[in-house]
Amino acid sequence: MGPAMSSVSAAHAAVARGRLDEPAPLLTAEGIVKSFGRRRVLDDVSLTVRAGEVVAIVGENGAGKSTLLRVCAGVERADAGQVRAEGRVGYCPQAPGLFDLLNADEHLALFAPALGLSRDQGLRAGRALLDELGFPVRDHSRSRALSGGSRQKLNLALALMGEPCVLLLDEPYQGFDHGTYVSFWEHVSRWRAEGMAIVIVTHLLTDAALVDRVVELAIPREAGPVAERGPR
Amino acid sequence: MTARRGTAAGRWARILVPAEMTGRELVRRRLALGLLTALPLAFYGALSGHSDRAEVTGGIAMAFSIAGASIFCALTARPVDQRLELAGYRPHELLLGRLLLLELFGLVVAGLFSVVMALGSGSAHAGALAAGLVLVAVTSVPFGLAVGALVPNELEGVLILIGVVGVQLTLDSTQIVAKLLPFWGSQRLLDYASGDVGSIGPAVVVDLGYALALLAAGAYAGRRRAPRGRMVSRRRPVTTGRD
Repeated sequence: MGPAMSSVSAAHAAVARGRLDEPAPLLTAEGIVKSFGRRRVLDDVSLTVRAGEVVAIVGENGAGKSTLLRVCAGVERADAGQVRAEGRVGYCPQAPGLFDLLNADEHLALFAPALGLSRDQGLRAGRALLDELGFPVRDHSRSRALSGGSRQKLNLALALMGEPCVLLLDEPYQGFDHGTYVSFWEHVSRWRAEGMAIVIVTHLLTDAALVDRVVELAIPREAGPVAERGPR
Repeated sequence: MTARRGTAAGRWARILVPAEMTGRELVRRRLALGLLTALPLAFYGALSGHSDRAEVTGGIAMAFSIAGASIFCALTARPVDQRLELAGYRPHELLLGRLLLLELFGLVVAGLFSVVMALGSGSAHAGALAAGLVLVAVTSVPFGLAVGALVPNELEGVLILIGVVGVQLTLDSTQIVAKLLPFWGSQRLLDYASGDVGSIGPAVVVDLGYALALLAAGAYAGRRRAPRGRMVSRRRPVTTGRD
């Protein structure tokens, strides 16, 4: 571990334990370095997530959690390091990337061609996901008129469209009420059972009990060994 | 479920659907659209009847509305574009879709202005007047998309728009500085329509060249921002769930 910033790849540890029957890694980030101006946010961070595994990334504000996720998604370029992903990656950003004046169906229709789906296929698949997440599918309000929770559900559904193998979620339950939050974790369990590799950035320590591994990122100045908290 | 990927219909959908959604967003900004259209009309109306520069001023001011709409369109789409590109769109498909829709919008505005100005001024060169207005529209969209792709925020974009169009408005088309600006060709055509100059010269070619260069700049900025920091294996793995 570098003196400025620590990270850990818990999956590396798992490999070191020599478990030959482990599912294949679907997401591998190696030696990720990222600076914004003179401020180094990520310093030699590695992360491997396997099929059917849920990993939480925790750390204080500014530790680079969202940056790591953005690098893994490919929307942020790392200064050094490499990310490999098997299959499609679904990315749910912290701030819902939505068009304010388009409604949910129009968003689904817009994403459909990108995923190789016809409009009807996209609407069918997207509405099914939205329904599953508890989004009022008959609500044709423009996205800026939706509640924070509904916007987040649409954000999540767009990430799930196209059946991704790797799902990257940046604090995905902002605005969710308690029932939706509980339901969200039930969905995560199901996606895990289907073999998806899931990375969730979170601030909530209660989430640690719901995931397989917790990877803690530290701010470079305060770097110490990154802690991997107990697997479930 | 992925039968359309790679088919002709699928390829067209990747351009036409972003165009359609851009159109839906645009028509829902009714107040902004009204103001953007009223602004150049106000420029024209203020000078019409007592200045021979009314057509040139109104025509070039039309760039405020079309380029303004393009800047806002590009800036609004920026946070979503990365997700769309991550989902599978290529940057040029999104750009082409928006270009298509905005050019259509620009041509509608140019048509409207052509009728208003032809009726208002009784220009002897109505064809040149219409061509000048179309050229403003054609150049404004790449200009707005390029500015929207290059600037960090709306304020900077609007200031650049006001600066470039404002300077072009104040200059005579024979001045060297005017020739360096993106709407010189349109200005020249509108000057010709007003009878201020005797020939058009390379006006159309210069403006179209400018438009292509601006489009290339916008495309370059879009490509630089596109997700590409990740190596993706196309092989879909067979997963077995948790061990």
